Amino acid sequence: MRLPGFLVACLLCACAETSGPPLVASDVEITRAAPGMKMSAGYMTLTNNSGEAIVITSISSPQFGVVEMHETVVEDDVARMRKLDELTIAAGESVVLERGGKHLMLMQPAGLSRDITLHVQSGDAVLLSIATHLAGK
Amino acid sequence: MKPRNLIIALVAGVALAAGAWLALTTIARDQQLQFATALPVAAELPEFALLDHDGNAIDASVFEGQWDLVFFGFTHCPDICPITLQVLADARRQLAANGQATLPRIVLVSVDPERDTPEILGNYIAAFGDGNLGITGDLQELRKLTGALGIFFQKAASDNDYYSVDHASVVIAIDPQGRYRAVFSSPHKASNFVHDFPLLTRL
Repeated sequence: MRLPGFLVACLLCACAETSGPPLVASDVEITRAAPGMKMSAGYMTLTNNSGEAIVITSISSPQFGVVEMHETVVEDDVARMRKLDELTIAAGESVVLERGGKHLMLMQPAGLSRDITLHVQSGDAVLLSIATHLAGK
Repeated sequence: MKPRNLIIALVAGVALAAGAWLALTTIARDQQLQFATALPVAAELPEFALLDHDGNAIDASVFEGQWDLVFFGFTHCPDICPITLQVLADARRQLAANGQATLPRIVLVSVDPERDTPEILGNYIAAFGDGNLGITGDLQELRKLTGALGIFFQKAASDNDYYSVDHASVVIAIDPQGRYRAVFSSPHKASNFVHDFPLLTRL
């Protein structure tokens, strides 16, 4: 899993005008599930430092059985949540996963791990691995 | 009076008048609803037979005796539902801190009774403070309540075990007589309720 990701990262680096990793995550927050619930939400800013668009097709985590990219859309006082099949970040741009907007939904937690790893993928290639932990105590 | 002094006096007079006008209109605006839309005539609720989060049978009289801020959502909703409930909890805390005597009860009406058992709902709403009320139960009975309040909800299509429910994002204020009194449109901010709720209680 890690090697292809590393290779893709290197390829993207080669294309980029600036040095450094092509895809960077910041302000990562994984919420603690509400009492009795088994669902967390994930928020972060993903920045594409490369010279080409990055298409994220999935995000996975060893700590969760299912991770989906979703978008909450509120129109005319109706809230709808839609699954996103892919997330495209234009060259040099950022996409913000935030409350009430695009976000991750993390379901089926495997155990009660506080440490969370997220693999941001394009197809089978891991573009970025994020080490984080659940928000709060 | 020298012309220069006259100009100074005129400028001072105009400034004073403008200041007074601004102060008066600001006070007037502070005493009007800015975020909620009040119904011209409070609407009675229909009869319904549902369950509270302890599993007790409830009817429309559950809304009598206190002001309620009612949101419609479901527990398997990781984003907008906890955000809105947190906003309502924050608003309630700020109203209490402001010395507001009448505080609203926060009510979550489930739009997903299939998964939201009273127990699940009870655990969930307790995370947003004490004294909150959860309502769930039979779907047809639920539609009587949501229909009367103009609340849309519909199970969304899903390609796996998890499904979402599209639902109205408004918050409805129900008065102590158990009548539909006003509606807050989204997006919700705690300050909206802190400003408008005390005014609603004095309508």
